[in-house]
Amino acid sequence: MHSFGYRANAVLTFGVTMLALMCFLASLSDTFTVPTTSAEVKILNINWFQKQANGNDEVSLTLNVSADLSTLFTWNTKQVFVFVAAEYETPQNALNQVSLWDGIIPSKEHAKFWIHTTNKYRFVDQGSNLKGKDFNLTLHWHIMPKTGKMFADKIVMTGYRLPEEYR
Amino acid sequence: MAGMKQKYRTDLSLSLAVSQKDRNCSTQSYLCRGDSHVFPSSPVLKARINEMDWQGQKHAEMLMQIFLVFSAVAAFGAGYLMRDFRLMMLIYAGGVVLTVLVTVPNWPYFNRHPLKWLDPSEAEKHPKPQVSNITSSSSSKKKASKNK
Repeated sequence: MHSFGYRANAVLTFGVTMLALMCFLASLSDTFTVPTTSAEVKILNINWFQKQANGNDEVSLTLNVSADLSTLFTWNTKQVFVFVAAEYETPQNALNQVSLWDGIIPSKEHAKFWIHTTNKYRFVDQGSNLKGKDFNLTLHWHIMPKTGKMFADKIVMTGYRLPEEYR
Repeated sequence: MAGMKQKYRTDLSLSLAVSQKDRNCSTQSYLCRGDSHVFPSSPVLKARINEMDWQGQKHAEMLMQIFLVFSAVAAFGAGYLMRDFRLMMLIYAGGVVLTVLVTVPNWPYFNRHPLKWLDPSEAEKHPKPQVSNITSSSSSKKKASKNK
């Protein structure tokens, strides 16, 4: 600690170490919250259901997504990334997950939301397996922190079925 | 000897240059002593020219650690209770700035126990021993003159 530069370096280094410790503790405090969330996705309409020229099935849906994710927000949350995925099984693949819609919730005030939309991303199968298919719609969320570990979870909603014939 | 003292007093740039170079000087050479007769009186300029003494350095290091740990604890506590991440960062930044202001410049407070170097008139009476070819007879002769 015998010169100006030495002391400045020591202060800054120790300061950064303390900062890292604080951020670790902030992230750790996130694990103590127990969130309660609710979500519901309704399929309002099947707009069309066709087989593409390359042989893959495609569906267009109108969805109503409503959810209350406000308990996920802590003091260390920057934003929550939400997406809706359709999940089903085919003879080719044990699990297919197709993302239909996603969004970013920037703050707790926007966390209780309701959206009425067609699917943002195309619901296309690998092959032609969707006729009369039973599928789940799952609402996934990723809680993006300001510092530290990102947590992800989901709600699975079952009981949806595609029509037997193309429309 | 008076001539040498005069030379030392007027040759300010040389003495400052030497003290800059020999910061951690541990020899008893008269060039290494703090220039107690040539520094200005204001504490800010004193802080720039003088270094801290050993006890001051230890004290400064202890103060730095205490200030930073306390800032971190206070910042985290306030941020957690008020549920405001930005508040935590602001309090901590303030704490770091305060620590830099208190610890980094060499305030005179950290120089209260300066080491006393040998006066040049004393050093003249006891010249530095020669390094090369020391035989037992010449070293005993020098030891005798030292204990004069």
